[in-house]
Amino acid sequence: MAETLTAASSHGEHAHGEMSFWSKYVFSTDHKVVGLQYMFTGIFMGLIGGFMAYAFRMQLAFPGVEVPGYGLVSPVDYNALVTNHGTIMIFWVAMPVLVAAFGNYLIPLMVGADDMVFPRLNRLSYQVFLLSAIVLICSFFVEGGGFGGAWTAYPPLSAQSQYNLTPLGSSLWLVAVGLEFVAFLIGGINFITTAMNSRAPGMKAYDIPMIVWMIVVASIMFMASVGPLLAGAVMLFMDQNIGTAFFDPDRGGDPILWQHLFWFFGHPEVYVVLLPATGLVADIITVFSRKKLFAYRTVLYTVFATGVLSFTVWAHHQFVAGIDPRMAHVFTVTTLLISIPIAEMMFVYIATLYGGSITLTTPMLWALAFIAEFLIGGVTGVFLGASGADIYFHDTYFVLAHFHYTFFPIAIIGFYAGISFWFPKMFGKMMNETLGKIHFWGTVIPFNLIFIPLFVLGASGQHRRIYDFSHFPNLSAPWQQDLRILATSALLVMLAFQSVFLVNFVWSLWKGRKAGKNPWKSNTLEWTAESPPPHGNWSELPTVYRGPYEYGVPGRDSDYWPQNEPN
Amino acid sequence: MSEEHMHHPNYLKIWAMLVGLLVVSVAGAMVGIRVVTLITAFGVACVQAYLVAKNCMHIGAARRFVPYLVATALVLMLLFFSGAAPDVMKPAGVNWVKPAWQEAAVEHDVSLHEARH
Repeated sequence: MAETLTAASSHGEHAHGEMSFWSKYVFSTDHKVVGLQYMFTGIFMGLIGGFMAYAFRMQLAFPGVEVPGYGLVSPVDYNALVTNHGTIMIFWVAMPVLVAAFGNYLIPLMVGADDMVFPRLNRLSYQVFLLSAIVLICSFFVEGGGFGGAWTAYPPLSAQSQYNLTPLGSSLWLVAVGLEFVAFLIGGINFITTAMNSRAPGMKAYDIPMIVWMIVVASIMFMASVGPLLAGAVMLFMDQNIGTAFFDPDRGGDPILWQHLFWFFGHPEVYVVLLPATGLVADIITVFSRKKLFAYRTVLYTVFATGVLSFTVWAHHQFVAGIDPRMAHVFTVTTLLISIPIAEMMFVYIATLYGGSITLTTPMLWALAFIAEFLIGGVTGVFLGASGADIYFHDTYFVLAHFHYTFFPIAIIGFYAGISFWFPKMFGKMMNETLGKIHFWGTVIPFNLIFIPLFVLGASGQHRRIYDFSHFPNLSAPWQQDLRILATSALLVMLAFQSVFLVNFVWSLWKGRKAGKNPWKSNTLEWTAESPPPHGNWSELPTVYRGPYEYGVPGRDSDYWPQNEPN
Repeated sequence: MSEEHMHHPNYLKIWAMLVGLLVVSVAGAMVGIRVVTLITAFGVACVQAYLVAKNCMHIGAARRFVPYLVATALVLMLLFFSGAAPDVMKPAGVNWVKPAWQEAAVEHDVSLHEARH
């Protein structure tokens, strides 16, 4: 087609006229609004998840003492708090913020499209997600309280209310998780289709920014892995409510089948949230080291390798459950294999930094912290991936510290890196750098002070699922309790510093310096739109002439070369 | 747009066929003959899945990706089954037993023993 494709001509019915408050902010089909809805819902759920961590960590450090703002934490409360903390942080914080918020906001802008391919489906995705969050929150207030069978919901604990003591909460938890999965299936279809079909003229596969690739691969992985768990969730719901025995060994069922169903989804899920975070880190470190991404294609191939291998590692979660030892060997090998592409990716990022003209802005600090902290998570994972060592570490705080060293960089550090980098584009204002750096150090230092002691406690044999360690003489030595108090105190400091972020966010929205189109002198297409971009993003859709990482190209006056700038 | 003028199947007719097949599958189970139940349950389910996939999933519009999607789903299914089967198809494992399976095995052995003598 020879005619110039413009935003006004191409995005049809959702482009026109002045919109009411409701159609603009509540029932919007605009990808940016949907992205921000996901982000603010994720932040809200993060506050709930953080409060839960505060309550149960206080119980562990000061057992039996009333927690300010919560009250006495009973054993049933404790189970519900840890279960829902894990569930919320993974499914209602990491997923909506990293995949849905950044995916929705950035994919059309970065590929040069005016909106998602299916805008109404996109709106439906958020509405189903919001419903899932409401169902989960409601589950805290039903008789018996929120589900208390751990975020992995292993039967028979999860299947029988005489064990978990939360009959209604456990069923509502399953409904909420099921709805959340439906929301992300709908959203994932949009991400994949938009990135594949709606790219600007001239944007070839290797010109796509890394975060877009990562979210697309993550969406494919999610779609391919979630089916078994959705089926499992229906079976568990039926076990709970209509007397089936899919997971009841006394009546011929198999509780280990649930573990297979859960982790066949659950382990790829780790990479579903990891990939978007590594993608945005790639985009940030290139901008603030003014260097081309080292080995773009290698990064891409490591992403594909990670995606494929992630489907072959799930049973390393069942080494102690008693799986066939021959299979344990196989899964040990595959688990150790998957560390190779991820390690390669981290090395590539370090190689990108090498020799660069590095500026330590707030987003760059977060990106660097992501690499450093995630590497600790990765290295400690090697101990757990090897079946021999895992026998000893299984269900201890070593495991807990390990996955917090992976998930915290992904969900929290990744989010802060992304929001501090794209805030100027989203809201048209710059965030305050000083407050940003105070928040950064006030988060990263306490984070390490929380979880390094938990590695030590885990290695000393501290079991994960204990409400009050004073009942166990072997686990209540003074030095062990001191470390618990240290971890809890560090958590309190870290939570307090999050108020700096909230203040910075609100203050910058209100009083922040005006951002302009491209405050970071970045190459990718979103920085060619107004800040914030209008509905439809551009008056005329951009054309792409090169890849996204042409920084510091010799012979050019400027050290960046936007993708849409003709040669 | 050419897609808007594409020929659509008669959805009402397909829906009626699906309902008819549902009746057949339920009625088949009520006969009480094991083979008939299996054929009506799984056979009818296959036909129903075919009807839905062929007529209601717009597969014709995305023909290029369909073989890859189907192949991926089959590979993942085989992978999952081969990984899970060594555990879930056994009456007992390293640290666990399924009492109902063991009881069933004992009963089976007893009836076999009685039949031989």
